[in-house]
Amino acid sequence: MNNILCMKWGDKYDDSYVEKLKEQCEKNCSVDFNFYCFTDNPTHEYDIQLPTYLDHHYIPSKNFFWAWRKCYMFSDDYVEGDKFIFLDLDVIIHQDLKYFFELPMQKPWIVRGWWNDIGTVKKNYAKYISTPLNSSVIRWNRGQMKPVLQHVKDNAEVIFFTYASLDNYFVHHWYDPWKEDGYIQGFPQGDIYSWYKGNVFPDDMEKNIFREDHKICLFNNSAETNNVEELKSLWTI
Amino acid sequence: MDYLKFTPELAHDWKNAISATEKEIYLLKRVTDSMNRSQLESKLWIVNELSELMLFPKSVVLLGGWYANFMVPLLFQHGVSYITNFDLDPDVKKISYKFNKSRKDDDTYKCYLTNVMFEPVFNIKYKSKPDMIINTSCEHMFPMTRFKKLNRGFFNDVVYVLQSTNEDKYEDHINCVSGPEELAEQAEFVDVMYSGTKTLDNGMERFMVIGR
Repeated sequence: MNNILCMKWGDKYDDSYVEKLKEQCEKNCSVDFNFYCFTDNPTHEYDIQLPTYLDHHYIPSKNFFWAWRKCYMFSDDYVEGDKFIFLDLDVIIHQDLKYFFELPMQKPWIVRGWWNDIGTVKKNYAKYISTPLNSSVIRWNRGQMKPVLQHVKDNAEVIFFTYASLDNYFVHHWYDPWKEDGYIQGFPQGDIYSWYKGNVFPDDMEKNIFREDHKICLFNNSAETNNVEELKSLWTI
Repeated sequence: MDYLKFTPELAHDWKNAISATEKEIYLLKRVTDSMNRSQLESKLWIVNELSELMLFPKSVVLLGGWYANFMVPLLFQHGVSYITNFDLDPDVKKISYKFNKSRKDDDTYKCYLTNVMFEPVFNIKYKSKPDMIINTSCEHMFPMTRFKKLNRGFFNDVVYVLQSTNEDKYEDHINCVSGPEELAEQAEFVDVMYSGTKTLDNGMERFMVIGR
């Protein structure tokens, strides 16, 4: 069975974002799927109680924007079925999600932010910044991401201390920007782009435009400036 | 020791290292950063204190040793026979082997792509069992207890040379300390042989402890 997962915790996004994502999936997925939302406040039939067993490793004084909660969904314990795609709440889907469920699955897939300058990525690799990966969309088959969850569990103290984001963690342990390959592979150019950052460096970097020939538009930005109202206004387009 | 011996051999190796950045422009800034005055000051500080303490190690491990362009020649000047460098940056191996090509060629310098806070290094085939570990990048890493635990006591009897800072304005300074005392505490030193502070040319306060 195909599963579309999302996640909601805290109060940055209200329920309308989950409903809107579900609506977009229903409109843009021509294969059957189940929809689930991992949340700290389950109220709908599709909600799954978000686990908390990693939470105590978070170090508030570091003020890291650490989406470790996404790791919980890599467990096989919560959702049945073989095929999984995770979508952040702040995405706009342009095309049929069937494409993602039919991808060859020798390796899991994650967003490779092609809008990043690879020179900057390499220059800053050891500084834990400028990751080329983005966990807004992840596609995996049952069991494929369990090693990631296990690695986080086994090394939680060091990982929570070291990495400012899940994406920075991914690029140090599961992907090699020099080889553009790893345990996880990046979605190819033309699949996913960023509203705030552009599409492919350096030739297609225009911001704040839709590229409807792509599958998904992300609204990734720094936590301080991400404008949820702007996304909401674009839902009507 | 007040200076690094800039021999014709070293000049040749350094020229080739810098030339290697021509194809990868992003590397040039990194390489020039590694060659600034503060970098040399902090590395000279190490060999000077080792001399004061009459410590003359034979086999040294560098943790996060970066391009090791100053540290390697200074340590060989100090009488070290073998140096093994572990760094997580994939560019480091290539560039540090260029800076230290003569030492690579005579098999006295080895560099491994390793994240020492996640992978043990006790199982590497060392030419000579390490008797000193130098980490001048402590502010970039989890505390040293993790390294000791990963390596299951293999390095318990070596002398550690650790440097760090209290300068926390950089994102990659994930483990700043308040002073040399905290640095020694983090590493669980039972024998502090040296503890000091130095203000470098770039204005940064640098702490160093040597001990077991």
